[in-house]
Amino acid sequence: MITYDDEVVCAPRAGTLYDVLELILDRGMVIDVFVRVSLVGIEILKVDARIVVASVDTYLRFAEACNRLDLEHDVRSKTVPELFGGPVATTIGRAGAKRTARSLTDKVRDILTPEEETAAEEEATRPRDHTRERAARGRSPQRPRSRPAARPRDEDDRPRSRPRRRTETEDE
Amino acid sequence: MTAPTTTGTTAGTTGTTASAPEALYVYGIAPAGVRAPRFPGVDGAPVRLLTESGLCAAVSAAPARIRPRRRDLLAHQAVLDELAGQGPLLPMRFAVLSPRPDALLSQLRTDAAHLSRQLDEVRGCVELNVKGTVVPGHFADLVRRDENLRNLALRTRRRPDYEANVRLGEAIARGVRREARRAAREVLGHLAPLAVRTMQGATDDEQVLSASFLLRSTDERRFRQAVDVRARDCGDRLALSVTGPLPCYSFVDPRPTPAGR
Repeated sequence: MITYDDEVVCAPRAGTLYDVLELILDRGMVIDVFVRVSLVGIEILKVDARIVVASVDTYLRFAEACNRLDLEHDVRSKTVPELFGGPVATTIGRAGAKRTARSLTDKVRDILTPEEETAAEEEATRPRDHTRERAARGRSPQRPRSRPAARPRDEDDRPRSRPRRRTETEDE
Repeated sequence: MTAPTTTGTTAGTTGTTASAPEALYVYGIAPAGVRAPRFPGVDGAPVRLLTESGLCAAVSAAPARIRPRRRDLLAHQAVLDELAGQGPLLPMRFAVLSPRPDALLSQLRTDAAHLSRQLDEVRGCVELNVKGTVVPGHFADLVRRDENLRNLALRTRRRPDYEANVRLGEAIARGVRREARRAAREVLGHLAPLAVRTMQGATDDEQVLSASFLLRSTDERRFRQAVDVRARDCGDRLALSVTGPLPCYSFVDPRPTPAGR
């Protein structure tokens, strides 16, 4: 399963032959009296050079990852507990959400229930969970609106880049 | 794979085949006086230099067939790297042949002024190529921030089915790509002022940034640091890669000879 957070890359990687294929094949000098051999199969090679992932499979993985999100603690609009005023917002906790939801309207339950399911699923997949997401979730029940839309994130909160293979070209 | 055909751009060369006995594979043009590259060339042939009018062309015997094989692409690149390490160089595109040595020498003679001027333009410079591909690392923020995406996500949760999930995923993919494109424009805006010249390449839905920068060698470190900063800044939207220093493929005039010159 793909965890999108794992794909976060924070350091540029050194290029490969495939990264310069188009330069070697399409740029550079051609002199009129010379002959450019036309290369059969070159288009196939160029398409092979990169993995194109715009597919239904990708969309479904996005949807799946999205369905695991905590959309409750939105950065901009009010959260459901807040819609019901301060007392509810302060007393409602993660554990108590379901119980409280029962006493609310069906509409509210519609919104809360998927969140509960998500939380349960979350527990099951915890070992794969990313630090950043855990941190965000751990905080949000207490401070649901504390994050501005473009929050400055301190270094420790940033996703770590995976160790990258270094090549000689990187340091030159 | 099918045998390569040849295309001649003048009447004299039309129909010349790659296997013509005197045909030469041409790697690039440098000022006279450079050392011949030690790396073997395309098809393992030794590379030698033909000198004329203060210029020299790095050539090897043309192989019977040219195909874009990995080892031949790498050989082309390695020969040019070695020459570029010695000074200015006009790299040829992969698979450029000269039908005969005398045709090549006469071309160097005719074009000497123009070629020398181009060599001056890339003297002391290297090409760095920066590519950026879409990273969906911030998609959670995107869904939370974007009213439409968020509503779509909540609707999909209430009535989850295959079609709804595809629609949701597609909308997220579009949003993620839009953010990556925006980041790519910002990266380009920050890097271009550090370069002598900038040349943008083709992009697509995954690779939203592809640009070559002509840099003075002395600016390379500063440029790489700038890329590092950008990579950290937009790492959750765009993954950057840097290739180089390269021979200046993108900054030579592809066709230096005006017709009838």
